[in-house]
Amino acid sequence: MLITRRNFLRGSTAAGIVSLAGMPPEFLRRAALANEARSNHSGGRILVILELEGGNDGLNTVVPYADDEYYKARPGIAVARESVLRLNDSLGFHPQLVGLRELFDDGMLAIVQGVGYPQQDRSHFRSMDIWQSASLESAAPDRGWLGRALDHAADPQAPDAPALAVGLQRLPLALTAANVNVPTIADIDGFRLNAGGDDEAGQKRRDLMRELAEPASGSSGESLFLERAAATAYRTAERLGEVTRDYQPAAPYPATQLANNFKLIAQMIAGELGTRIFFVSLGGFDTHSQQAGAHQALLGELSAAVKSFYDDLKGHGLDERVVLATYSEFGRRVKENGSLGTDHGAASQMFIVTSGKGGLYGDHPPLTDLDEGDLKFHTDFRSVYATLLEKWLGYASEPVLGSQFAMMDFV
Amino acid sequence: MTSALESPLSPCDFNSHGWTRRDAAHLVRRTAFGASHKDIRQALDDGPEATIKRLLDTQAESADFMARDAALHRVALDSADIGDLRAWWANRMLYSANPLAEKMALFWHGHFATSNAKVRSVRQMEAQNALFRRHALGSFRELLSDVARDVAMLVWLDGNANRRRQPNENFARELFELFSLGVGNYSERDIKEAARAFSGWHVRKGEFWYNSLQHDTGDKTVFGETDNFDGGDIVELSLKQDAAPRYLAKKLLQFFVTPSPPDDAVAELAACIRKNDFAMRPVLQTLFSSAIFFASGSRHTIIKSPADFVLGTQRTLEARVNLRESVRLMAQLGQSLFEPPTVEGWKGGRTWINSATMLGRANFAAELTMGNRFGQIADPAEVAAQFGWHDSHDAVHYYVELLLSRDAPLARDAIEKYLAQATGPLGRRLRGVVHLLLTLPEFNLV
Repeated sequence: MLITRRNFLRGSTAAGIVSLAGMPPEFLRRAALANEARSNHSGGRILVILELEGGNDGLNTVVPYADDEYYKARPGIAVARESVLRLNDSLGFHPQLVGLRELFDDGMLAIVQGVGYPQQDRSHFRSMDIWQSASLESAAPDRGWLGRALDHAADPQAPDAPALAVGLQRLPLALTAANVNVPTIADIDGFRLNAGGDDEAGQKRRDLMRELAEPASGSSGESLFLERAAATAYRTAERLGEVTRDYQPAAPYPATQLANNFKLIAQMIAGELGTRIFFVSLGGFDTHSQQAGAHQALLGELSAAVKSFYDDLKGHGLDERVVLATYSEFGRRVKENGSLGTDHGAASQMFIVTSGKGGLYGDHPPLTDLDEGDLKFHTDFRSVYATLLEKWLGYASEPVLGSQFAMMDFV
Repeated sequence: MTSALESPLSPCDFNSHGWTRRDAAHLVRRTAFGASHKDIRQALDDGPEATIKRLLDTQAESADFMARDAALHRVALDSADIGDLRAWWANRMLYSANPLAEKMALFWHGHFATSNAKVRSVRQMEAQNALFRRHALGSFRELLSDVARDVAMLVWLDGNANRRRQPNENFARELFELFSLGVGNYSERDIKEAARAFSGWHVRKGEFWYNSLQHDTGDKTVFGETDNFDGGDIVELSLKQDAAPRYLAKKLLQFFVTPSPPDDAVAELAACIRKNDFAMRPVLQTLFSSAIFFASGSRHTIIKSPADFVLGTQRTLEARVNLRESVRLMAQLGQSLFEPPTVEGWKGGRTWINSATMLGRANFAAELTMGNRFGQIADPAEVAAQFGWHDSHDAVHYYVELLLSRDAPLARDAIEKYLAQATGPLGRRLRGVVHLLLTLPEFNLV
């Protein structure tokens, strides 16, 4: 059954004074705060990060269709000139990006071109670590850029999780923080707590589980980590049950995993969950061989899901509160490889869905001036992060990113 | 138990420390999946040396086990359903007389993470798994060399796309980055050259095929040495690097001992690996006998993998297990056997834990103790009768030692109070006690 605060309290009362007395007052205080949050969070700004995992082929995503070099480098896998969705007289979208094209035409899609970082690492894991931590230090990072932002800015007493990873099996490094436990929700149905029965004994155990999960004084290391994780999980399960109960989408979603994840996020935003950062991921972009079919399907899934999400938000009057940003750990080689695919490359583009500030940011990197066969970057990804943190979320970026990066104008 | 003067890998001195029930439980839990009362009792009675010897020597399997194992194996290969192969392996983890070999097979599966999502062949995944088991406690050198020719691995890392004129770097990169050396111990050029040495290592008709027409016979320069290397030479060259034993040492320490092994322990174990030329049995023997393995600072520091949490708890509670449901749950908790998330394998530790998996673990605890979806645990009322417990204190003490093996005064008091106040049949009340213990955050530690 669904656990709500109401029937939790009712259950506690039925179970007698003992369990109420045993329950930390903290928990009741949080319950009260949750109500407050509902009114306070209206109008709050929300950031959604969409990771394209595997290294998206940016060149076949935003296609320099007027450039002969592009067709020379990719005789087997280039997107045909006549099939691109033209954005201007030199660039066009892959034909699958119909939804993104509509957002672009509505002035809602910013395309930041030539994004990367110095000495691009071509290992998936290392480069993903760099993107997720926003740190070029060689040591393996233990916190992510959003995690550090949460460590600085999140209110540990807030009733709702400050950030959520949706549809992922494990917490991405980007959201890993030192002092905040960020929940991961694989799907809403799996996010309920079963106490082995809702009889009196079951209710008692449910109360005890919450009580014994609260971090003990003197806990540290893995114990403290697990206590926080359990306490956050039990609390978030309860809140999610509340906020998503009466939701009706305002637009149809395609039947894909990514679209389901976006639908859940829309539900949570519409339900006024106090969460400000959501993280989703779409995998499969590591297209070393026979790229065309797989890439086409991925871009189609991406574009349709993002478009449905914004249509739904718009129907609820929430679209202007939500900025979405995509990134991938690297672009791919300019030249196709021998198996009708592409190998790991360097610079690529980021998409930002934003209200009224759409358009192209920066030039497309030239195909004739390459770095070991890869596009050169001109915009450091940390500039994009700094802009999202400061101009959108209102967090100071320097303590998070370690230094000051140039602000951009897409929000 | 370790002092500043003692080196981490020096043998733990049981003559002066004694050999306690908690020591025995620690050794069994870290080297097998879970530890039942009988498992702990046997290790306690046998003592540390004999227990470690028993873990490392190959033990004869019972006739019952062999019959069941063969049946499950046949089902998996006949159905070609990877879920059946998972169930077969889970049965081995739970009931084999050689649990350490299964644990090492799981370690190698995570190390050489190959996914059926791409391989799409139960037969080939099973063959690779057999390879991991054959070399589980044997030579890492031979294992690495065999893995490079393994069909599932070749499919996984695009062996057939690695051709003389179009070398594919996928395997060479992962060989250095993930299988032998770790990031920072090779150059991009080493990868490019090494890839050429593996060109023509293809798969044909489901078997390894050395395609000489597609093999690049030119000179390659890898780690500063130049010759007409082939793949086997590259494996040897990588193991010659100082980084190789260090990389393996750190992973073994993290898997068996502590999530953040100190540098001196890594260095000592690396030296031990080099001295034994990558033979795992003597290396593990040293590790499991060592001061750092039994140090109090190493206990309860490793977050249980789903295999440890699900199968280990079932074994601990002497459950009759629904294998298919259990491996399905393990996948939901982040450990889908034969389908690791990436070639990097399972990162383990804190990455197992998030709100969804914490709820999943808690819900498993409720279902295992109160329901039957994952099987039936040994009836606590019968356990109570067997031990002749007189009061709730005895019962809670038994289960706290069995499940946590540590002082947990707050939880113990709260749970004793719960038991004293609960009504209904004893078995049902004790199931509530076990449920609560399984949902404690610290039960997730081993």
